[in-house]
Amino acid sequence: MDELDLLKKDWKKNEPQFPKISEQEIYAMLHKKSSSIVKWIFIISIIEFIALNSLSFLLPNDFDSKLGWVETFVRYSDYVSYAVAAFFIYLFYKNFQSISSTSTTKKLMESILRTRKTVTYYIFFNIAYVFLAGLLIIGSQVKLLLIDTHQEMKVVVGASLLLLVFLLVILLIVWLFYRLIYGFLLRRLHKNYEELKKIDL
Amino acid sequence: MNSSLEQSFVSQLKEHQNIIHKICRLYTSDEDSHKDLFQEITIQLWKAFPQFRGDSKFTTWAYRVALNTAITLYRKKTKSINTIEFDSTIHRFAHDDYNYEEEEQIKLLYKAVHQLNDIEKALVFMYLEDKDYTEIAETLGISEVNARVKMNRIKGKLKRIVNP
Repeated sequence: MDELDLLKKDWKKNEPQFPKISEQEIYAMLHKKSSSIVKWIFIISIIEFIALNSLSFLLPNDFDSKLGWVETFVRYSDYVSYAVAAFFIYLFYKNFQSISSTSTTKKLMESILRTRKTVTYYIFFNIAYVFLAGLLIIGSQVKLLLIDTHQEMKVVVGASLLLLVFLLVILLIVWLFYRLIYGFLLRRLHKNYEELKKIDL
Repeated sequence: MNSSLEQSFVSQLKEHQNIIHKICRLYTSDEDSHKDLFQEITIQLWKAFPQFRGDSKFTTWAYRVALNTAITLYRKKTKSINTIEFDSTIHRFAHDDYNYEEEEQIKLLYKAVHQLNDIEKALVFMYLEDKDYTEIAETLGISEVNARVKMNRIKGKLKRIVNP
């Protein structure tokens, strides 16, 4: 008899030793809060969507009309970014809906990871957008200050550096958030998913 | 949700609660985490219950949701730092043909199973529950052949842990 069959023999004998949970206790459990990772992913993703959308208000909107095409770019890209946000939120919602505890373990893991990926892509899109907009604004400010208002070089360089630092800080925060989610929230899930994939190689 | 649905769920769960206890036993190492996981599985089962059509057995359906909760959905509130020491109070022998050597080996085996990863535990659990490879494969979402291969590897692994 192999080891597992020995265990199986014993496994069945142990059933009566389990605690008996009463119907009242089960009723009480039904109304308790779940601590599933899906709930956490949902909450964190919503916070990210809100945070990223409020970020766009931080970008200066009152440009000098001399900025011309930069101003036009920033104004229209605002509409584009709202459309993109709406699209991502729709995808997120659809992915979230597809998470079901009655799927196979592998499918369940895939749908959770896909939901999370949607939010990550949205974050990447926003970083790229903020970076591009930031660079354009820096560039146009430099032009404005140097050529049009003949500011001192020191001031121009200082202002540009400040903007760059601001962009880098945003990037750092986003990156830390990303690490937090993948490290803290999804580590176990990722590990188990890899394990399951390995079996089916 | 209406109360008759709730009633039907509660009575079925009460009847089959050992399934959940057994999963908790494999995936947790102390009483508090056992209760915690039991509760989370109950919540997940209840959330999924409206989709339970009764075209499969309650138990088959419950196995899947409960395992998915233990492997994927459940977030441990506290991380247990101590290495798992199998508690002999949970694991008592009531049978007459008491065999000391066998008891020791079974103790070692439980310890060894606790050392397996979450996926391997799921396979062992279903094996101990007499599930065939079709159901094991269907629950996890892997192929039947690979489930069988993996199971044989686990057996080898357990053999090596128990008889080093």
